[in-house]
Amino acid sequence: MLRILIRGLFLMLLAGAVNAAPVFVFTAIPDQDETQLKQRFQKVADYLQQELKTEVRFIPVKSYAASITAFRNNQVQLAWFGGLSGVQARELVPGSRAVAQGVEDPEFKSFFIANTSTGISPSDHLPESLRGLTFTFGSKGSTSGRLMPEYNLREQFGIGPDELFSRVGFSGNHSRTIALVESGAYQVGALNYKVWETAVAEGKVDTSKVQVIWETPTYPDYQWSVRGDLDAVYGDGFTARLEKALLEMNDPELLNSFPRSGFIPASNDDFEPVRKVARQVGLLD
Amino acid sequence: MSLLAIQSDALGYGDQRVLGPVSLDIRAGEHLILLGKSGCGKSTLLNHIYSENRRECALIPQGLGLVECLSVFHNVYMGRLPRYTVLHNIRNLIRPAQARVAEILPLLERLGLAAKCFSQVADLSGGQQQRVAVARALFQDAPVLLADEPVSALDGPEADRVMSLLGQNFATAVITLHDVDRALRYGQRIIAIQNGELVLDQPSGRLTASALNEFY
Amino acid sequence: MNSTKPLSLPRYRWPGGVRTGVWFLLVALLCLPFADLDVSSLDPWREIGRMLQGVISPQLMDPVLVTEALLATLAFAFAGVALAVICGFLLALMFHNLLVRAICALIRSIHELFWALIFLQFFGLHPLTGLLAIAVPYCGIFARMYAEIFDQVATQPEKALPVGSGFFSALLYTRLPQAWPHLVSYTSYRLECGIRSSAILGFVGLPTLGYYLESSFSQGYYSEVAGLMILFYLLIATKKLWLRRWTLPLFLLGSPFFMGSGMPIIWGNVGRFFSQDIIPAPLRSGDASLHSLVDWAGTIVMDQALPGVWNTLLLSQIALVVTGLFALLFFPLINRYCFDTVGRIPGHIFLVVARSTPEYLLAYILLQLLGPSMLPAVIALAIHNGALIGYLTGRNSNEIRLRPDAPERRTDRYFYELLPRSYPAFLSFMLYRWEVIMRETAILGILGIQTIGFFVDSAIQEIRFDVALLLILIAAMMNILVDLLARRIQLHP
Repeated sequence: MLRILIRGLFLMLLAGAVNAAPVFVFTAIPDQDETQLKQRFQKVADYLQQELKTEVRFIPVKSYAASITAFRNNQVQLAWFGGLSGVQARELVPGSRAVAQGVEDPEFKSFFIANTSTGISPSDHLPESLRGLTFTFGSKGSTSGRLMPEYNLREQFGIGPDELFSRVGFSGNHSRTIALVESGAYQVGALNYKVWETAVAEGKVDTSKVQVIWETPTYPDYQWSVRGDLDAVYGDGFTARLEKALLEMNDPELLNSFPRSGFIPASNDDFEPVRKVARQVGLLD
Repeated sequence: MSLLAIQSDALGYGDQRVLGPVSLDIRAGEHLILLGKSGCGKSTLLNHIYSENRRECALIPQGLGLVECLSVFHNVYMGRLPRYTVLHNIRNLIRPAQARVAEILPLLERLGLAAKCFSQVADLSGGQQQRVAVARALFQDAPVLLADEPVSALDGPEADRVMSLLGQNFATAVITLHDVDRALRYGQRIIAIQNGELVLDQPSGRLTASALNEFY
Repeated sequence: MNSTKPLSLPRYRWPGGVRTGVWFLLVALLCLPFADLDVSSLDPWREIGRMLQGVISPQLMDPVLVTEALLATLAFAFAGVALAVICGFLLALMFHNLLVRAICALIRSIHELFWALIFLQFFGLHPLTGLLAIAVPYCGIFARMYAEIFDQVATQPEKALPVGSGFFSALLYTRLPQAWPHLVSYTSYRLECGIRSSAILGFVGLPTLGYYLESSFSQGYYSEVAGLMILFYLLIATKKLWLRRWTLPLFLLGSPFFMGSGMPIIWGNVGRFFSQDIIPAPLRSGDASLHSLVDWAGTIVMDQALPGVWNTLLLSQIALVVTGLFALLFFPLINRYCFDTVGRIPGHIFLVVARSTPEYLLAYILLQLLGPSMLPAVIALAIHNGALIGYLTGRNSNEIRLRPDAPERRTDRYFYELLPRSYPAFLSFMLYRWEVIMRETAILGILGIQTIGFFVDSAIQEIRFDVALLLILIAAMMNILVDLLARRIQLHP
């Protein structure tokens, strides 16, 4: 039995070694329903493969942290990060850069939504009546579903969400935040405005049960980040070609799946505000 | 007058015949002793009588059938489980009912077990455990006693005391014993079993110890 | 003998085992007011309805994907358990060594999901992550159980051997043959646990059943969930058919090929994890004073560990007692003195399904239905563990031989015969399970209940592995303490 096992382990490691041939791998934060993510990023993988003339693979992960870790461990070379996850990832990988963001991303925002049974109506600030209700964020590592909503709550009420609400949860992703607030499992939630708008447009939300009550000021969010050592592995000029391919993504079907109207250049400095907020909230040292 | 009538072609476990054919009448007011070597089928006969006449009989089985992790009190009380409601039984398990303790205690006293009333049966000696099984049968207060070697673990005087207690309290009894003298002393009718058959059925007055010894 | 003087009776006291049980009950009752047990979902019935609809219309997603997932689930279970058996066996032989015992206690007190989260940080989604996540904790479990089995076999044969027979020859000729049936049956039971663990590893991204279960669940595709679950139950229920002496080598040989390829390992990451990531933040930033270290640890303990430990304790004590009540309720279902052969079938099916469903998965389902509180976790833990202990107690109770004049009413029979006779075995199962329940309670935090797992997960999401590791170690200490306590109670009830 021991021999069998050793042989098995050996074969496995061998398989791992063979796989190390330079396939270009990328990932994305799992901020939405997985089926949607898979459809979207398979299209991106096909597009990049065509443009870069090298094998491109998309690997789905189950958490924000897993996408950051994969990027850091050089198991993926490119990632579609949120504002916060991008900052965290680039901090851990010296030389990595934000290269492209959606046209909408520099001015991104979050929506606070509430179950209609709370009787809270939309307004230009968060109402006092939020105190004592139940509240759900999206993922713990999300910018639009955690960091910015928490920052705004702290700004307006002067206390942390744990003190403000009777119960604070993390739904896991934006789609589930809608589902949980709609079902009343939580009374209030905060999420990515794009996910909300798309879900409403597709008729997936019962707007008689859940509605937007406030929107946050804008902040920079999603971006494509690449590691700094790509050219050494994939050949000179690879990063430049990758950047170009990302910025020139203009197939409407592809863009709609994000949904973004196009991609524009980005730099690490663009996300300085996110880093500051993350420090303030205590999510970053 | 016949109280229990036993008619059977063959008794045994599965296909294995241990005893039979058997035809036996047990009359009311009669103390019947079964004698025979171990494995001759005494217990089989006793268990058969019990399974046919559950309502009328109190049983002291060979293994005693005590629940060792319960107290003496609860084991004795079990003789009367069917008389009370399930609810009373559950309550009594959690907290012994005063009235039941008052009923059982004198019984235990006569068997020299009063001080052990609330001890776990597991902590008792073999002889004490046997007396608990006796107490359970006495408490059940059935018309007929079926007892399988009820005094095997008791010393002489103790055994005699228990036998006479059983004799006083049960008008009718079927008891297996291996001690011939004791059988003659307490039985009114003696049945001996040999080679799977009832070979002797006589009033004890007509028998002597030496005559009986040949069955061992 | 017929003395008339009143006898002074000692007060009736419950047997020691019962008193232990009552103490646990009291502690759980004391915990109740502090535990958050609300049903916070406004309309659980709608979601339950949708779920039931899914159950009656099960659907298989892409058969190729499902087959791959099933094979991967088995592959990780077999390879992981096999590795653990070998290491565990060797460690069991050295179990008298205090250091070996301590190491085994430590590695088994860390849940396989925590191990997976640790290995994920440097192996990434590589098969090795899944393999070790099962093998490491199981190795500690095997070492202890094998050692206990060896301790219980008769020692006379070994003593009777001629001097100089040698350690291994003596082992082979005396202890091993005697222990063999017990070793095999325990290992087979553990393999079933391994399949469950392997399935659950999918929740953190390994390509096993849990991966697709989580996806389908979180999107509310209940028909797909039902399809996957039915497959999973069939897999476990038919274990006896496909797991034979001659198929075992096939499974072991085949398993490395079905774990998926994942991402390549980069060994530099391993070094980095141990030399940087898990070094406490103040040490890493060069501020190596004791003061800053104490500050760092103090903040974590106050803000995360204490609330986490408190909630873990509350939840696990309540869950333990509810588990016990469920088990006492469930075990007559499969007892031969309570139901006839046909009548026991529904009981058997229910207990198989309930104990095959991992508590993690049950809690996940119930959280969707009842909303976020400790209630779904308590129910999940109690159903799974209650069914398991109910099954073991039931099996045990079938060996009881009732006397011919045993009570006829089923309730009397249960309370006066079956319950008292099964209780000691039941209690020792419960004490064994205490630590497991505590470990699972901690893990349920990943689902959002604020036990210590919640804070571990948060730390990992915030890429603070030093904090995560400290919290995991605190959770491990808790489990070790509970394990020690359970064994003390076992010896002196």
